[in-house]
Amino acid sequence: MKKIHALIVAVVFSFSVSCSDDDADSANGPITLEFDNVVGTANLQLNTVDNPYTNSQGEAFKITRLVYYVSSIKLKKADGTIYVDPVSPDGSEGYYLIDEHDGSSQRVTLQNVPSGDYTEVTFTVGVDAAQVNQGAQTGALDPAKGFFWSWNSGYIFLAIEGVSPSSSEPDNIFEYHVGSYKEDAAANQVNNIRTISLTFNGDTAPVRAQHEPEVHVLFDVSKFFNGAGEQVSFSNNASRHSPKACEELSDNITASFIVDHVHAN
Amino acid sequence: MVACFLTGFFFQCTDTFHPSNHPYAFRRPQNFPEPTYTFENNALTTAGVELGRALFYDPILSADSTIACASCHQQASSFSDPVHKLSRGVNDASGFRNAPAIQNMAFQNNFFWDGGITHLDFVPINAITSDLELGEKLENVVAKLARHNDYRVRFKRAFGTTDIDSQKVLHALSQFMSLMISADSRYDRYVRNEGEEFTNDEREGLKLFTAKCTTCHATDIFSDGSFRNNGLSSTFEKDAGRERVTEFPADRGKFKVPGLRNVELTFPYMHDGRFRTLEDVLNHYAHFVKDSETLDPALKESASPGIGMTTAEKAKIIAFLKTLTDRNFTTDRRFSNPFNNQSK
Repeated sequence: MKKIHALIVAVVFSFSVSCSDDDADSANGPITLEFDNVVGTANLQLNTVDNPYTNSQGEAFKITRLVYYVSSIKLKKADGTIYVDPVSPDGSEGYYLIDEHDGSSQRVTLQNVPSGDYTEVTFTVGVDAAQVNQGAQTGALDPAKGFFWSWNSGYIFLAIEGVSPSSSEPDNIFEYHVGSYKEDAAANQVNNIRTISLTFNGDTAPVRAQHEPEVHVLFDVSKFFNGAGEQVSFSNNASRHSPKACEELSDNITASFIVDHVHAN
Repeated sequence: MVACFLTGFFFQCTDTFHPSNHPYAFRRPQNFPEPTYTFENNALTTAGVELGRALFYDPILSADSTIACASCHQQASSFSDPVHKLSRGVNDASGFRNAPAIQNMAFQNNFFWDGGITHLDFVPINAITSDLELGEKLENVVAKLARHNDYRVRFKRAFGTTDIDSQKVLHALSQFMSLMISADSRYDRYVRNEGEEFTNDEREGLKLFTAKCTTCHATDIFSDGSFRNNGLSSTFEKDAGRERVTEFPADRGKFKVPGLRNVELTFPYMHDGRFRTLEDVLNHYAHFVKDSETLDPALKESASPGIGMTTAEKAKIIAFLKTLTDRNFTTDRRFSNPFNNQSK
């Protein structure tokens, strides 16, 4: 028995070593994407006592929850080379649940990225059909994390909840849960997946072996509530938990993200 | 090459660490379509199936340990609920729709009356977390199972780890449910030429069924998997059906075409359990189909909506439908309550 164990360990070890020869390049290094949430020029504070923020309709509000999934991260070098963050079929790699309640979740560090000067990042907000169709997931995609629709399978891509005196919902709450990956015109489904590409505004993020650049990405709640898709009024259907109800809102996601600055480090 | 190596590795690993766990073969009946389930992500094993069986019958999955999957999905009724139009959940809550039969799940593309669920793994999430059914959070289910020594052993045996998460719970349930295949009815033995004979009425019933019903109840699963308005209401105020999922008015009043295997046993019928007998069902199609904008075109082919059938034809169709009853499935000990067996 022990011999067999040892044999398996040896086999696995040699396999994993040979497998990682390609990517465990001594010239590879890490890069961190920090997802910081703001409201206009102010850093977002959750669960404030009063309603410190105002939307474009002049409605005061506060935020109690902001969560979103980031996936399919791609980094582009100045020479056009693209690095794709690997995704595993069980969801344990390549999917990130960014939760304003949990500061550590807002820092996404990609390890073992080929060295070079990166100038652009692309990512998806949400979880696409190919992944959902794999069945039960783990890691950030564990449905026990509470961002899975039990009645209409798929993940909640972005959940933003708060309070506004303008909302006519009980306790003046608002809840916008954006989801639905099912793009199939014949079957009357909507696809609220949004992919965002952001340049580093002329800066570069130099990835080197012992050199960890940081890219500061901002999600602006003000832009999310006042975008090309919909100018949100909390007096209009402030409790949305279904694909079509958030179709216009999902169009606001794209312009809500910017790269603020890059720390070359 | 890599796949071969990995497969070999996993089998080796499984055998070495858990001598009591073995691969479990999934066999597609010859008259069935290809399975849709993602077995490549969740290979069947004897211990996985047995764990899924325990979870299916264990009320530990519900908020107050009173309701199991099997409470509303009873084997003798082909895993449906013969008692209630709308099943009862925790705190005596009344369900929203009639509990469908659990059978031939590995061959379907979507689940529930409105098809909102698109993968077998996600089916139990709906039942577990609904306040009207088991009323429990997935994280609590995982925590309760992890506190249970017997389940830690079972998960270790099935998945090689006591580190339980919702994926393993759902995978185990899918392993069990994917094996719930009903394909051993008199009809199956008849079409597979295994020596079964039909009576005259049954033969004529099959002909009538083929002519009048297989637009929707197609293939040997007896459903084309589509969503259709079969005229139960002209407004669908109580339940908009598929429209609840898609939010498109064109889907109002559409419900998934149910497979008809064991249909003799899966009463009451329709999404709201309104019909008690097969006679009621056929009388609906013959006489009481209500017109509306989304009524299925197949029910609009004659002057008045519905499917024309004489009394004699209805009797023959019902005689045929009863040949779909599969008592070997409803008494298969592999799917019976494992806790009952233990106590005997």
